[in-house]
Amino acid sequence: MTIIVSRKETFWDKIYLPALAIGLKVTIKQFYRTLFRGESTTIQYPEQKRIYSQRFRGEHFISVDANKTENCTSCYLCQTVCPAECITIIAEERPAEENPYGVRKEKRPARFDIDALRCCFCGFCEEACPKDAIKLSRNYEMAKLTREDTIYDLDHLKREVKGRG
Amino acid sequence: MTLFDIIALLLKLVFVLAVVLNAVPVVIWFERRGSAWMQGRVGPNRVGPFGLLQPVADVIKFIFKEDFVPKEASKFYYHVAPMIAAVAPFAAFAAIPFGSFLAIGGQQVPLQIASLDIGILSVLAFAGLEVYPIMLAGWASNNKYSMFGALRGSSQMVSYEIALGLSLVSMLLIYGTLNLTEMVVYQDQLMFGFMPRWGIFLNPIAFLIFLIAIFAETNRLPFDLPEGDAELVAGYHTEYGATKFAMFFFAEYVAMIMASSLLITLFFGGYALFPGLETVIAGIAGALQLSPEWTQNIRAAFQVAGFIFKVGCMMFFYVWVRWTFPRFRFDQLMNLGWKILFPLALVNLLFVALVIAWMGG
Amino acid sequence: MTKPKITFDGQTFEFEPGDTIMRAAERAAIDQGIPRFCYHPGLPVAGTCRMCTVEVEKAPKLMTACSTPASDGMVIHTQSERVRKSRAGVMEFLLLNHPLDCPVCDQAGECSLQDYNYEYGPSTSRFQEDKRVWVEASTKKLSDRLTLNMNRCIHCERCVRFTEDVTKTHELLMENRGWKKELMTADDLGVFNEYQGNIADICPVGAITFNDFRFKKRVWFLKPKPSLCDGCARGCSIFADEEKNVVQRYRARRNDQVNGHWICDAGRVSYHTYSDPQRVVQPLLRGLAQSAPQATTWETLITWLLREMNQAKRVLLLIGTDASSEEAANLMQILPSLTRGELVIRSWNGTGEGVQSSGDDAPVDKILRRRDQTPNTRGIEQLGLHPLAARDGDFDVALFFRSGRATLPAQKLAAFEIAWGVFNQSESARFAAVLPGLSTLEKAGSYTNCEGLVQTFEAAVKSHGHAASVKKILDGMRTMMKAHPETAEREVARDFV
Repeated sequence: MTIIVSRKETFWDKIYLPALAIGLKVTIKQFYRTLFRGESTTIQYPEQKRIYSQRFRGEHFISVDANKTENCTSCYLCQTVCPAECITIIAEERPAEENPYGVRKEKRPARFDIDALRCCFCGFCEEACPKDAIKLSRNYEMAKLTREDTIYDLDHLKREVKGRG
Repeated sequence: MTLFDIIALLLKLVFVLAVVLNAVPVVIWFERRGSAWMQGRVGPNRVGPFGLLQPVADVIKFIFKEDFVPKEASKFYYHVAPMIAAVAPFAAFAAIPFGSFLAIGGQQVPLQIASLDIGILSVLAFAGLEVYPIMLAGWASNNKYSMFGALRGSSQMVSYEIALGLSLVSMLLIYGTLNLTEMVVYQDQLMFGFMPRWGIFLNPIAFLIFLIAIFAETNRLPFDLPEGDAELVAGYHTEYGATKFAMFFFAEYVAMIMASSLLITLFFGGYALFPGLETVIAGIAGALQLSPEWTQNIRAAFQVAGFIFKVGCMMFFYVWVRWTFPRFRFDQLMNLGWKILFPLALVNLLFVALVIAWMGG
Repeated sequence: MTKPKITFDGQTFEFEPGDTIMRAAERAAIDQGIPRFCYHPGLPVAGTCRMCTVEVEKAPKLMTACSTPASDGMVIHTQSERVRKSRAGVMEFLLLNHPLDCPVCDQAGECSLQDYNYEYGPSTSRFQEDKRVWVEASTKKLSDRLTLNMNRCIHCERCVRFTEDVTKTHELLMENRGWKKELMTADDLGVFNEYQGNIADICPVGAITFNDFRFKKRVWFLKPKPSLCDGCARGCSIFADEEKNVVQRYRARRNDQVNGHWICDAGRVSYHTYSDPQRVVQPLLRGLAQSAPQATTWETLITWLLREMNQAKRVLLLIGTDASSEEAANLMQILPSLTRGELVIRSWNGTGEGVQSSGDDAPVDKILRRRDQTPNTRGIEQLGLHPLAARDGDFDVALFFRSGRATLPAQKLAAFEIAWGVFNQSESARFAAVLPGLSTLEKAGSYTNCEGLVQTFEAAVKSHGHAASVKKILDGMRTMMKAHPETAEREVARDFV
């Protein structure tokens, strides 16, 4: 049940004008702030960018070592932990000539696909990864023209990301 | 009429047209950026410095868009409506004085296109034409939203013209003339030794009613019900595009400038100089050893500049109000017009008449 | 005579005389409480890993459960402070050189070392030096089926004992001692026995992995489903490990009556037949002027089949000896009512030349493998079916029913040959129609193995595509006959074939 209690309107309420003046004051104050003090709420997006937290979780990447070899050993831990089930890995044996580190990288991903449309950016994969291979960069500009492009393959994931992007 | 008069008249026409036509894009630019600033945004800033060329880009776009005519529209009225809309407010400018006079070769050139004794009536007559394009456009478009917009527009304008007229009558009683130049001359004096004798100080209630009424007359927010984007798509000009829409759009701003000019003339002393400026002019004339003729010309220049400044302030107010208040509901609009403004204007008229009678007019 | 008794952690159990402590614990079903690396119930006792030490009251030292004989009245503590400390010590030594590559290692998830370290081992290492790394032997192919990673080896020697005592082929041995102890193949011949998969199974760590499964799936995704191997007449018990209805590997399931702890390699990889992408899982029917049957609907196919079978004078039903007993019985019972002509039912053993009946079956080696490559020869014989004989001939329609194991007879038996069961695309070309059926993994039923043991099994995974069980297809045919008896009457228009 709703009880509607009408507010008694005073004379000043009824003639509206003081309320209008208050409204005009609000906008002129904002006008002054934006124009003369540059306190604009919006930004010039493509040129200017918002500064996000260091912990922002954006587009995925797989870190590579000095030889451009991915650190991923396709242990499937990210695929296991992923709540959105957006990671698909197919493992294979790394050829000996591409494995200068002896035993440490004998296994590699033949395919490593992340369906970005399914991903919920929880970052569990990053936490699960024992090799610090999969990471979430700070890039949030992930719009793509086709659905195919939103499935990140290994080539895309291995792109160069400075710092955390 | 001598050749000199004809040339002077033509020059004045060109001057007024040029100023008004150039003011419209500036006002439109300010409408966009000003609204952005009032809302804490940046606003359009891509075309030209500070986005100043944005209206130019818009005009180019409007010109090159397809000139579409709805199949079921009434062709003649459909085409004629935007033309009336664009022409009527220009015509109203004819009687508005924007300066006293120029002294050229011993002749006086009044800074007013047509110096009419019944100037105010002429302005009102042309301003009243503004209701026709809205009705014609809405009706000829053969679109239910346009129709609703037209109905709202016509009833709204008719209703508020009454309040506007009554508040005007009270001012006419004070000024005792229909000639706009004489009104300005009346206001170009001081009250109590320091206050300009402007209409707003003489009759603030009439000013308030007039102000509200011209917002309704020019279909500006909070009274833009004929357009009513939220419920009527775009109201009476829903079916208009390309150049014809541009004419409506343009006409709206010309009408605003015209209404502001009238308001300035009636309540803010028109071209009358601000108190103290006369001393400055005298100083300049003394310093430059000017003849009385040239002193008058300088004075006229100050007057024109002052007039434009006042109109500019009024345009700012228009924008300011638009981006502050929400739109009225139609019944609220009618309530305000008929139940509040109309009786208020009547009472005010009676009061003014009594005071003038008491003071022995 | 009363049986001797032994007490584990305060609970008393009976055991058989001659048992070790571990055997006694197995009988009491508490053996999971005793960790072990080198001990395996199918292998001789070595007692080398010292992980299974337990505290025996009145014994001064900890005793290995795997090698100490149990005696009457023994009181054993499997989880006492001393025992746990000893196990932690063993774990610490084992982990000195064990690489921390669980993410790469296929054993992760079913690794004894992981499990025991989680339960008993120290969580940190005091070892400061560099770990021993075998570069050559880090991915060494022991054979085309096995890969060795010597770094992970904990020297339990289960694999060596397997080749010594189970296959008796002696391919594997440990070379050198101590720090340099390394698993080698004798004379560099590689591993060549037919039971190599078991070596990967019994390896407690990821040192030896089976190539067919290597890097294919992580074991924690898999669900083990008990099933039967249909690779030969032995009928070994297996776990079919599946994920999302796709079987990823077979493992031996302990069954002392049939296969003990082992299965052969051929059986281990036989699941490929059923997950073959070329397998026919859609009803196929050959139209006019088509060289191979094309996809169709069950309704069209069954209508066509009924018509053909009723127009034909002599119909042959060939039941492969890889059909389950229930399927064969169903076919023999119902199919005669759906045929007007003479229905001849014969069995056919798909092993190839030389094996026609269970009488021709014989062991291939001394462990598990049989000559008969189909799982249910005896079961089909018990139903009274005779093998296809040379004098049988002159058929209008021949129906081949099989479950994916039996190879097809080479000669053409009838004008219209129809396949029913598990076939692949390349085989389908000779048939007028293919009715996709279920494989052993997808159906329930029973097989009678070479020793006459009847073993039932349940479906491990759901069927692929439009494949349907025999019962469902036969029911469909009967319903169609009842609803449209004119189907059989109609003149065969020869729309198809």
